[in-house]
Amino acid sequence: IQLDFWLAPRGLGLPIDIRVPFPSLQPVKAHLEASGVSYSIMIEDVQALVDEEQTEMLRRSRQLPLDTNTFNYEAYHTLDEIYNFMDMLVAENPNLVSKLEIGRSTEDRPLYVLKFSTGGTNRPAIWIDTGIHSREWVTQASGVWFAKKIVQDHANNEGVASILESMDIFLEIVTNPDGFAFTHTKNRMWRKTRSKHSGSICVGVDPNRNWDAGFGEAGASGNPCTETYHGPYANSEPEVKSIVDFVKSHGNIKAFISIHSYSQLLLYPYGYTSTPVPDQQELHEVSAKAVAALSSLYGTKYKYGSIITTIYRASGATVDWTYNQGIKYSFTFELRDTGRYGFLLPAKQIVPTAEETWLALKVIMEHARDNMY
Amino acid sequence: DIEDVGHKYYLELELEDVLDKGRTVNCTAEVLYHLGSKSTAPDVQLTVQGELRGTEEADQEFYNRIRSLEKELVAENIPDSHGNVPLELEPIHLLAWAASGYVIWQNSTENTEFHLAQVKHVKQVKRSDEDLQFDYVLLLHEMVSQEVIPWEVTVLWHPQHPARVSWDRRQLGHTLG
Repeated sequence: IQLDFWLAPRGLGLPIDIRVPFPSLQPVKAHLEASGVSYSIMIEDVQALVDEEQTEMLRRSRQLPLDTNTFNYEAYHTLDEIYNFMDMLVAENPNLVSKLEIGRSTEDRPLYVLKFSTGGTNRPAIWIDTGIHSREWVTQASGVWFAKKIVQDHANNEGVASILESMDIFLEIVTNPDGFAFTHTKNRMWRKTRSKHSGSICVGVDPNRNWDAGFGEAGASGNPCTETYHGPYANSEPEVKSIVDFVKSHGNIKAFISIHSYSQLLLYPYGYTSTPVPDQQELHEVSAKAVAALSSLYGTKYKYGSIITTIYRASGATVDWTYNQGIKYSFTFELRDTGRYGFLLPAKQIVPTAEETWLALKVIMEHARDNMY
Repeated sequence: DIEDVGHKYYLELELEDVLDKGRTVNCTAEVLYHLGSKSTAPDVQLTVQGELRGTEEADQEFYNRIRSLEKELVAENIPDSHGNVPLELEPIHLLAWAASGYVIWQNSTENTEFHLAQVKHVKQVKRSDEDLQFDYVLLLHEMVSQEVIPWEVTVLWHPQHPARVSWDRRQLGHTLG
């Protein structure tokens, strides 16, 4: 008969699960009915389930997904997979999305920015970057989700579709590709770039201390072997310089958001000085609204405030420079969590994190659109 | 501010049981950071108002499972790069968490904030007495400096006794790149 017990007999009154091969189905049923043993069918066709699983596994093991609809947003991806995703997104939405190369990294990897635009010439724009610190994996993963979300909103004429009527969105998903590749191959905890500057055997500069705002002052380290090394001079890192050049030549960016993890914070300038920014009150109010929107989804709690009062003194930080360039709505996020998993946030939290963060981003984007300057 | 002594903090805390969300316990604590001293841990007095969840059955199960292993347990990268912890390694992770709490306490100042980033390596060491011994290499992430510091920690545990760190040392040799 070849009965395959999936839940073996354990004692009177306890159920048994049996896989019955097709030829034995009739005799087994007849026997159970004749003996007055009640049964129910849990799976009609085991082979069908097995076949389905095989197909699934084959599809997932293939190097590249077919399109951005079959792309797995609930998993972490390699650099190649993310770069491939970008190309697919552009190919699927050529009238909305384009890919710009704004520079090359130290190890000569392309630095790509996705531009989302419904037209116009040099429209006021929003900039979002993720992955400037390579070990903060939930940020690049969220960036991928944001890209897809923007396309979906536009297709469904909801969400940010209204923002795209008058503004462009620029999204740099892997802002530090050398570091990101290194976290996949050699050291999951790598934060900095991979540059080698003469005079030290240590590698890498903290790209969030390399900007020209209070550069080299307290809040960064001059020791190349440390995680907050500011570099030999401001903009020494091509990953930073390329954004500086882009922002300056664009000249019309109205909101700049740089995304990190972890700590669950929404921060605005300054980090290099305790002098409040002139727009402190407005930025504080926008932050309050953004954080409330974020929390509304899953109850995730965020704190907010200026960098120096909320997290620590940091000099040469991205948004300090962008603010001083005149980009009033300059914010930094620190995404989930608060330390339980830290940088190693389980993949199943990627989408919830991206979803809630998106609500906060929309508050900032809408405020920028409605308060044009 | 206590002159010539240090800084004292009075805290009201709410502890949440990570394995039983929604279950909270209130605590009060007094923490004294000694003036100028980098080598003395802060003094901590803690009062727990209420009861912590009992875990005797799970503890005994884990203890028996490890004791019955033919070869000593060895594992690394908990959680892995994607944040996964295999089910059977959960208690190892939790034990590391407790041990890191001790090390963090011993090395904290008013200007540090440590979190356990990862269990880089763990090796069980068989003992002639009743205790389980695990030699860990823990990665501690310090927020202000952003450094990830490897730390060697030896933990002893038995179902009826609280976990103890019997030895710990910051691992020598900095990662250059």
